[in-house]
Amino acid sequence: MPGQGRSSVLTLSNITKTYPSGLLALDHVDLTIEAGSFTSIVGPSGCGKSTLLRMIAGLDEPTAGTIQGRPDDVGLVFQDATLMPWADVEANVHLPLRLAGVKRKDAAPRIAEALALVGLTEFARAYPRALSGGMKMRVAIARALVTRPRLLLMDEPFAALDEITRNRLNDDLLRLWRDQKFTTVFITHSVFESVYLSTDIAVMTPRPGRVMALHRIGGPAVRDGRFRADPAYLDGCRAVSHDLELALRAPA
Amino acid sequence: MTRFLPLLVGIVFLAAWEFSVRWLQVPVFVLPPPSAIAKAFVDNFPVLMSALWVTMEMTLAAFLASFLGGLALAILFSQSKLVERSLLPYAIVLQVTPIVSIAPIIVIWVGLDHVERAVFILATIVAFFPILSNASLGLRSVDPGLSDLFRLYRADRWQRLFLLQLPSAMPALLAGARISGGLALIGSVVAEFVAGSGEATGLAWRIAEAGQRLEIPKLFAGLFLLSLTGLAINFAVARIEHLLLRRWHPAHG
Repeated sequence: MPGQGRSSVLTLSNITKTYPSGLLALDHVDLTIEAGSFTSIVGPSGCGKSTLLRMIAGLDEPTAGTIQGRPDDVGLVFQDATLMPWADVEANVHLPLRLAGVKRKDAAPRIAEALALVGLTEFARAYPRALSGGMKMRVAIARALVTRPRLLLMDEPFAALDEITRNRLNDDLLRLWRDQKFTTVFITHSVFESVYLSTDIAVMTPRPGRVMALHRIGGPAVRDGRFRADPAYLDGCRAVSHDLELALRAPA
Repeated sequence: MTRFLPLLVGIVFLAAWEFSVRWLQVPVFVLPPPSAIAKAFVDNFPVLMSALWVTMEMTLAAFLASFLGGLALAILFSQSKLVERSLLPYAIVLQVTPIVSIAPIIVIWVGLDHVERAVFILATIVAFFPILSNASLGLRSVDPGLSDLFRLYRADRWQRLFLLQLPSAMPALLAGARISGGLALIGSVVAEFVAGSGEATGLAWRIAEAGQRLEIPKLFAGLFLLSLTGLAINFAVARIEHLLLRRWHPAHG
């Protein structure tokens, strides 16, 4: 099982976020993310899980609390593919390296590798407009992985895709995570998706967001469609659904 | 088929014009028939062409100056809120003051010996603002997600400008350029009307001259040439816009 060392890569302690309007978005969130884990954060919309991810990425500052152990190399994928429409697929994947000063010629092998990982080698010269939603998301994943980050952050990346595409991308993501051995923090509101993908799941309450339960999902080391019939999957779904139910009922 | 419709409308319109002017015996100095205008156009072809050349030179120079100046100022504004706050009101003052009212003073300052300099400055002022405001808007219309990515990967100010803001600004900038191209022509014509005397030899002056001499067919021939020029500029900029944006912008399939 990946992440056997169970060393923590990221420790969030007492994270609180209050917006200037006085709205309390996150209330004393504690969360430890273990190296090599696939950790999902599940919660209803508006629970501040995206804000939490932005803080991990360093794009947002907590009002109080600390984040320790954030690596320098972080990949980030949003719900929207957010590609540069004026640039072709290759140039889009090149972006993180280009911003680090690596020229396209020198970056070419790594761009090709990243495109191969997501199965888009033939589309290097295509423009985003010509791609389907699922393919755009693959480009976004290739872009996030081109720097070979130790930490991949994903904010509901597959929420806007149809179920068939989502399932395929879930399997592709699991394969990449096993092969590339990065740590993943994955935001979703889907219990089934989180259980299918994750080694660890944090369930959050509605606003103000708090971590109300942690789950560890067992099962085979290599998961595929058959995992959906595995007792570990079914138990996981039941337990996480139950907690989410409780979280929604609890007075905010 | 539908692409020939405008042509058909034009032919029908000209035929109706020709016919009614002859039938109602409208004097030529009030409304000449299209045939007389065509004849005046051919007779005065060398004069009109050299006048067109002067006007085109002015228009292109003013367009280029306003494009580069407007873009440069918009970039400066995008880099510093302080500069934008301090200068924008004055740019707006320049924009809302009718050009005709500024013209005499510009002519006195620079145009007494060199009318073309006055025309150039006035046309540039007219064409400048659409570029400035559209480029400013464009530089600010950056996808927030992409903006976050640039922060995540620690892009510096220049990388952000050249790899994110300027490409994002392209559609708005080019839409501004289209307006500006038309305005540069209007600006140089208006400026020449106001500033023109003796030395000015552009189309506007030829039109004014023909009006004073009651050479109405020649006046119409000049007008026709002016409209054609405006159309050509619009078409050229639209073409460039299409070529630059066709691969990525939804409005340019």
